[in-house]
Amino acid sequence: MNDRSAFTFTRRGFLGTTVGGAAALAANPTWAAGKTLNVLSHKVHQTVLGTDAGDLMAAWKSANDADISFTTFDSNPLQDRLFREASLTDTDYGVGYIIDNRPTSDIASLFEPLNDLAVSDPIEDFDDIAHGLVQGMTVDGNLIGIPVRHATQGLFYNEALLEEAGIAAPPTTLEELVEQCNKLTFTSKSGTPVTGMILASDLALFPVMFARAFGGDFITKDFQLVPDPAAMEKGLDVLRGMFESGALPRSYATTKNDDQVTWLQQGRAAFTVLPFARFAQLNNPEQSNFPGKIKAIAFPGSATLAADKPMASIVEAWAMVIPKNAKDKALAWSYIKEVSSKRVTLGMALNGNGPVRVSSYADPALITKNPLAEVEAQVLANARGAFPPFPEAARAQATMLEEVQLAVIGRKTVKDAVASIIERVTPMMPA
Amino acid sequence: MRIKRLIIGSGKAVAVTALLLWSLLPIAFIVMSSFKPGREIFAVPPHYIFTPTLDHFTTLWTRWGVFFDGLVNSTIITAGATALAVIASTAAGYAYSRNSSRFLDSSVLFLIVVRLIPPIVVTLPLFPIVNALNLNDTHVVLMVLYATFFVSLGTVLMRTFIDQIPRELDEAAQIDGAGRWTILRRVIVPLAAPGILAVAVFVVVFAWNEFLFAFIFTATKAKTAPLVISEMIGSIDGVDWGVLFAASTLQLAPVLLFVIFMNRYLVAGMTAGATKG
Repeated sequence: MNDRSAFTFTRRGFLGTTVGGAAALAANPTWAAGKTLNVLSHKVHQTVLGTDAGDLMAAWKSANDADISFTTFDSNPLQDRLFREASLTDTDYGVGYIIDNRPTSDIASLFEPLNDLAVSDPIEDFDDIAHGLVQGMTVDGNLIGIPVRHATQGLFYNEALLEEAGIAAPPTTLEELVEQCNKLTFTSKSGTPVTGMILASDLALFPVMFARAFGGDFITKDFQLVPDPAAMEKGLDVLRGMFESGALPRSYATTKNDDQVTWLQQGRAAFTVLPFARFAQLNNPEQSNFPGKIKAIAFPGSATLAADKPMASIVEAWAMVIPKNAKDKALAWSYIKEVSSKRVTLGMALNGNGPVRVSSYADPALITKNPLAEVEAQVLANARGAFPPFPEAARAQATMLEEVQLAVIGRKTVKDAVASIIERVTPMMPA
Repeated sequence: MRIKRLIIGSGKAVAVTALLLWSLLPIAFIVMSSFKPGREIFAVPPHYIFTPTLDHFTTLWTRWGVFFDGLVNSTIITAGATALAVIASTAAGYAYSRNSSRFLDSSVLFLIVVRLIPPIVVTLPLFPIVNALNLNDTHVVLMVLYATFFVSLGTVLMRTFIDQIPRELDEAAQIDGAGRWTILRRVIVPLAAPGILAVAVFVVVFAWNEFLFAFIFTATKAKTAPLVISEMIGSIDGVDWGVLFAASTLQLAPVLLFVIFMNRYLVAGMTAGATKG
């Protein structure tokens, strides 16, 4: 006799359970809040809004009887997904986060113009949001996104290595920076070989920064391609000289953005250019060999740069958009208003977000928490994007980088490289 | 003669060692780094001796809870896709093995051609269709897609396996009154088990690691672990390498153990029909 308990499973029981379960799920049961706002963003946008007791959106959720469901992706996949969702007949996403160098006219047309909403149901003290960032989100006269985060580039340096090399203060001009980089290309006391500077070779912002240090640019806001070739040549000459002297690593052509962080943390490089927001990571005692010793200043312009033409660093900004095919645009706008409020902007800044409001930088809590707040605010005042959005921007950037790399590693003269940039990128420019 | 044998033996040993180093070093680096204190991961010169820590796994648990949801989703999708692919491949392989016609023979070629199409070509046009069917962000859509992409290879593999099973066994079963379905279940499947396991290994490895389809067709509910890892790599506020390596180790371990365990079937699958006269 079998004494194990028998589990009987009849066909009727199986069918009943299946049909009942399916019906219950089809009824779309509500477990928590009445509404859900689906947000398509990078993980960092969710993180800076806090969780549990530190949830900056708790009051909004309660007032709107709504929950927020974040779908997060890495930056490029996120943009790809956002544009695809916005191209459908309808989408479940109410709010998406967009990078300021993406909205061409075609892309901007996928999103709700916010001008009218900003007038009829205004955002708190809208003028407090950095005008340059708002301008970057205005396409064909339509405001399509509300800025929410920026990453402004600064010059980071390892103070301990500077002291070891007998350098009393960080550079104030590009020429001093080059001199210090050469001096700091040495073997440190700990036996670590140090290069003066590390820069990723696959990002346009670095050569653009060096061109701007001489008053030049790659593509201006009004789509002038290399408006001052001589300034671009001077910038690339500096990079080439640094590579030749070893002040840029021999692995320059394969160096990535993450290498900049690890090299600085390990004391393998003395200088790099990164967003100010990386300060905490670079000084994180769990990752860095130099916690508290890695500092940042504004990237210096050349001594030859005219006094009335301040060095324009590079800023990348994120903004919140509402897809035109979103279902509940009122809820989406309500979320955007709340995230853009002074309280939430400051709260996010304290959680590591680059604040888009000028007033946030004056807040004592932020000044205490972020020692770079003041310098970052100064740099932000003159900063602008690496280049404006246009359909062929990605290809133009890749072409420019190809020529820059050839020039830096000495496979092409700087003059020829700049001429090639102009020749090859011209057909890609918007009419 | 002896010297020649010694030289050949040494050459083989060097080649095998180089191959092992080439394939195992990156894995060893990832696994070791997941237990290293953050500051030592990229230390120059590298630290081979270190005090192991579980800090990165703890941080992964507390800050990236979504990764563990991703592992659960990956498991469900992999299991479903494997079951679907194995069932369809076995049935199709049986049909191809035991039947012959001009149409069937030419369709084998079509099966192989289907494998040559880059997934991205079918992915984007599928997005609005999947969306219209309300299948976006469901486990089912990935199970079906993964299975679909492997049924062709699985069918060819299974046909080769089933070809090796004597037709006399089918005929004997038929005389005993068995139908096609019974023959498949009672005769073919038990004898073709190594082939089924080989197909399963291929599908499991593919489905567990797949990124493109998961990226296009999921959002939150069916998000798989590789997608979460890609988010860690692309963090705009800095990559936490220790946590990333901890996640990679957890992502790698199950499939690595599975492949090691099933290794002999995998070899059988790859060499099926190789000696057929």
